[in-house]
Amino acid sequence: MAKVLILAEQRDGKLKKTSFELIQFCAKSGHETHVALLGDGVAGLANELGAQGAKVVHLAEAPELAMYTAEAYCKVLVELAKSLSPGFFFAAHTPTGREAMALVAQELEAGYASDCTSLQFQGDNLTARRPLYAGKAIAEVEFLGTGTRVLTVRANALGASAATAQTPQVQKLSVNLAGLKTKGLSVVKGATARPDVTEAAIVISGGRSLKSADGFKILEELADTVGAAVGASRAAVDAGFRPHRDQVGQTGKVVSPSLYIACGISGAIQHLAGMRTSKCIVAINTDPEAPIFQVADYGVVADLFQLVPALTQEFKKLKEH
Amino acid sequence: MTWQTWLFLPVFFGAMGYSLLQIRRLGKLMKASTGKTRVMDEMGARVRETLINVLGQKAVLRDKKAGIMHATIFWGFLIITLGTLEQFVSTLVEGANFEFLGSSIYQALVFFQDFFTVAVLLAVGYAFYVRLVVRPERLGKSKDALKILAFTGGLMVSILLMNAFHLAGTQPWFASAMIFSNLLSGLAPSDPSICMAGYTFFKWIHMILVLGFAMYIPHSKHLHVLAAGPNTFFKTLTVEKGMQKIDFEDETLTQYGAAKVTDLSWKDTLDTFACTECGRCQDLCPAWNTQKPLSPKAIISDLKKNLLRNQAAILSGKIEDVTPVIDDNVTEDVIWACTSCRACEVACPVFIEQTDKIYAIRRNLVLMESRFPAEVQNVFKNMENNATPWAFSASDRANWSQGLSIPTIQANPNAEVLLWVGCAGSYDDRNKKVVTAFASLLKKAGVSFAILGNEEKCTGDPARRIGNEYLFQTLAKSNIETLNRHQIKTIVTSCPHCFNTLKNEYPDFGGKYQVFHHSQYLVRLMNTGRLKPAKNFDETVTYHDSCYLGRWNSVYEQPRSLISAIPSAHFVEMTQNREKGMCCGAGGGRMWMEEKIGKSINIVRTEQAIATKATVVASACPFCMTMLTDGVKAKDLQSKMKVMDVAEILDQSIS
Amino acid sequence: MNIYVCVKQVPDTETKIKILPDKSGIDLSGVKWILSPYDEFAIEEALRLKEKNAGSTVTVVSVGPERAKEAIRTALAMGADNGILVDAPEGADGALAAKAAAGAIKKEPQVDIIFTGKEAIDDGAAQFSQFLAKNLNYPCVTVVLGIEYGPGKVQCRREVEGGAVEMVEATLPAVLAAQKGLNEPRYASLPNIMKAKKKEIKTYSQADVGVSASDQKVRLKNFELPPPKQAGKKIAGDIATQAKELARLLREEAKVI
Repeated sequence: MAKVLILAEQRDGKLKKTSFELIQFCAKSGHETHVALLGDGVAGLANELGAQGAKVVHLAEAPELAMYTAEAYCKVLVELAKSLSPGFFFAAHTPTGREAMALVAQELEAGYASDCTSLQFQGDNLTARRPLYAGKAIAEVEFLGTGTRVLTVRANALGASAATAQTPQVQKLSVNLAGLKTKGLSVVKGATARPDVTEAAIVISGGRSLKSADGFKILEELADTVGAAVGASRAAVDAGFRPHRDQVGQTGKVVSPSLYIACGISGAIQHLAGMRTSKCIVAINTDPEAPIFQVADYGVVADLFQLVPALTQEFKKLKEH
Repeated sequence: MTWQTWLFLPVFFGAMGYSLLQIRRLGKLMKASTGKTRVMDEMGARVRETLINVLGQKAVLRDKKAGIMHATIFWGFLIITLGTLEQFVSTLVEGANFEFLGSSIYQALVFFQDFFTVAVLLAVGYAFYVRLVVRPERLGKSKDALKILAFTGGLMVSILLMNAFHLAGTQPWFASAMIFSNLLSGLAPSDPSICMAGYTFFKWIHMILVLGFAMYIPHSKHLHVLAAGPNTFFKTLTVEKGMQKIDFEDETLTQYGAAKVTDLSWKDTLDTFACTECGRCQDLCPAWNTQKPLSPKAIISDLKKNLLRNQAAILSGKIEDVTPVIDDNVTEDVIWACTSCRACEVACPVFIEQTDKIYAIRRNLVLMESRFPAEVQNVFKNMENNATPWAFSASDRANWSQGLSIPTIQANPNAEVLLWVGCAGSYDDRNKKVVTAFASLLKKAGVSFAILGNEEKCTGDPARRIGNEYLFQTLAKSNIETLNRHQIKTIVTSCPHCFNTLKNEYPDFGGKYQVFHHSQYLVRLMNTGRLKPAKNFDETVTYHDSCYLGRWNSVYEQPRSLISAIPSAHFVEMTQNREKGMCCGAGGGRMWMEEKIGKSINIVRTEQAIATKATVVASACPFCMTMLTDGVKAKDLQSKMKVMDVAEILDQSIS
Repeated sequence: MNIYVCVKQVPDTETKIKILPDKSGIDLSGVKWILSPYDEFAIEEALRLKEKNAGSTVTVVSVGPERAKEAIRTALAMGADNGILVDAPEGADGALAAKAAAGAIKKEPQVDIIFTGKEAIDDGAAQFSQFLAKNLNYPCVTVVLGIEYGPGKVQCRREVEGGAVEMVEATLPAVLAAQKGLNEPRYASLPNIMKAKKKEIKTYSQADVGVSASDQKVRLKNFELPPPKQAGKKIAGDIATQAKELARLLREEAKVI
């Protein structure tokens, strides 16, 4: 069976969970699972990767790798891939993975499938499927050549599998990063940890029924459990509860997150126009006839002031698993 | 030839010559306004309208108090001018007068001149009182107005004194016909030579005032005395009108819309000369009354000021030096605040069309400069890609009709009438219910109808009102091609914006159909017995006039008839109704824009509805319905006040 | 400056998706074709750079069939100067397209900077800009939220998870892939739309730029519609039950948290 190589991601010396499900998946499928770990002073993380199922951790350390840059990562990963010749080279489709792996694939002249949402191994055959047209169609990717196949996988698509923990073998890579044309300068954290409504994966919105700017605090607490953005209907913005940049709707921002939770929003057309393409819509409203329930995947007829805090508790419990 | 003749000639010709030069200058400024106007045809109707409104003062008299005051001054001016002419003639040729007209005619003439001299003086007194004591907002502060009133008053006083001295000095045969001058002449000294001196003195005061006034008029808003008549003659003959089209095929056109005041038409410029700044338009403007910077009176006055500021450049042909029409007075906020309700146009006694200029300016901002409120860009994109201003799919347009057995025109090509659904009816949950109710009524009446289904596209109204004439024409032409392909003759729609566009604007592009609003069509069905409201509707109902139905198309009574026909429905009128009805705030493309300045127009209108203590606010337009529903919600009165369409009210009354 | 923008013509987001009987793709008849939205940010950035550097030109390059010229015209209407279309069949993959675009760009006398969108909205593959950069041996920065231009280099703000940004410096020429929020794309003025209609667009065949079908690395097949969206579920019970059940459904059924 072919070897697989997986890019593990770390930031500030902490591993990101996005690669774990890939490692678990590949290890479970019986492939010899290699993991690439790049950074500066990150050797200590290797065992954690083993705990997920990595047999070999290829460690590349250098000051130039302290901060991710596509060019540096690409150089290291290409060299590794050329020497290892894995059948498959995976990464999560994160800001890092989606950028670097395409460069790697092109350099290796390998076939590349990005943002896959389902993988199925049958021995050395891999069926990879990915979404198209904003998820309105799904297709299988056929790799036309031989050689390493490069793939990025959407976060949470595979789900967790039981890890076959082991102590990994750690192989140190020699790293030569002279003559790079790009340089990572710094990472600037957001003013709040909360993302902007437009590109957030999860948006939690409130309407006028929150009654005041303070009322939105319960939405903020809910948002913080899942790293969501907080949006608002026009009525709430007009009433001064939230700033205009948070307004979702025809005359505000048009958003298309994976999850949109509308709290106390009736769903008039002006608002719907701004969020109806969200993948999953949840509506919380005391009025069972509110138009928002027509587009919601899940509806809860309840008082948001009671439901939202309860939901916050439930989300916190889930995060612990 | 007396010394008076020698003095009169240069004074008269000097003053009149000066006035004529000013008028010629203003005429040149009109000529330099290169925008296109509507076709000026139907001369007979124009003459009639001018006689009724100028001579008959019909439009002015819509406001009773101000109307009577003005009519007095105007009619007085007409007849007194005959006296002034007689004066000029008698000064030029000693002893000449108009007595050749015959005893009865001449006596009647001088009687009315004398009567009106006093009447005008009283009217001027009243005008001073209103301007200086009452000080209504619509008049503003105007030194110009005070000068005009002073001139007019001065003229009347000088005439009275002149006549009094004349009658005292010569005791002519017609003295008793000049009742007031005759009375006044009793106070004159007995010496005839003093009286004649007094007469000559006040005659010259009067003539100088007249000539001075003639020189002042071209520089003041009193220019309306020359411009109002022609302006009335050249007005758009019907209240119903569509916006003018731009011919994009015309390769000589390089400027779309108005970037400079010279891009407006000569009629627009004439409008600015005809304005007396009476402020009736401003009083009714929903934007002005909710603290937006738009005042229809101010914009006309500001356009005139812009024209005059730039007149040196214009008259020397250096159009490139003319400053933009958007300036510190006519700001972008002013231009975007307009809801195209046309209350200003309907109120104007000299038939100025304020909206034509605002929308010409919008066209330049949108088509030439891409300068418009940011939120509008999505509306354009949605209309370009999905033929609807909302972000919904064109292929979902007919989904509202699923399960309702409503045939498409493909399935029912011989349908009696095409039901034009419109974007609101197709996509907005609340308005789907209105169209469903109307379709149900058509079925109950046994009308054979059909819809275009997914072939229907937005009429383009929002694009045209916002100023994107190109996008509008793209949609219009596509719809017309579809309608003509299906050989549609009759259309009925529940949206007044679609109604107006299909009826008044599509003909310009080859789309000529008989178009009804659903309220008109339902009244017809009721009158021919095909619909009989039966069930009680125990509510107090008030009706909000849609601007595009009412002021744009004079449809005021049919929606009211529908409500009144419902048993036990109790109808109450809002204080501001029909031509004076307040806009809901959504017209002029404002449905798609944020209202950032002042109080929300829809809240104010909702408050007016609440004041009637009605339990139901009826509307006949999807935009009005949205605005009023939002207003009721904002006031937290959803449990006490329902907003319903007239079709829904009728439908629930018929099993 | 010689500024280049690579654009793609894609089906409008509201297109109703119908799978072809042989599952090789979707039914393209009746599709409304538009310029891929992220490309608009790229074009706008190029135009602003041109406006700041007198004498610059903006050239728009697209790889696709003849209809793709309309997307190029949209870019020209916004204010771009020149357009280049490289012919490619339906179903060409990112590798082939990028090589073709690179081939066309290599024929140009001078390249100072290239902008693209961060991904095309039809396949969302997010690979074209990187493939292009490698073909040309330029550095590449993707998901760019902000750019500061310096002599021979740029400093980019790059969006990463959790609302944070990475500051990355790259030498020019480089390929920069725009994220939403980089700027506000302008609406084309009508005179520009009319001028764009008449502009000539240079066309290359695949042979002209040195690509062939063998440059294709992957192909999509077995197209399917996703499982149908079920009618909304109303979750019953008391508050505690509703909250628990909702959280469970979101994690296990919808898989969104």
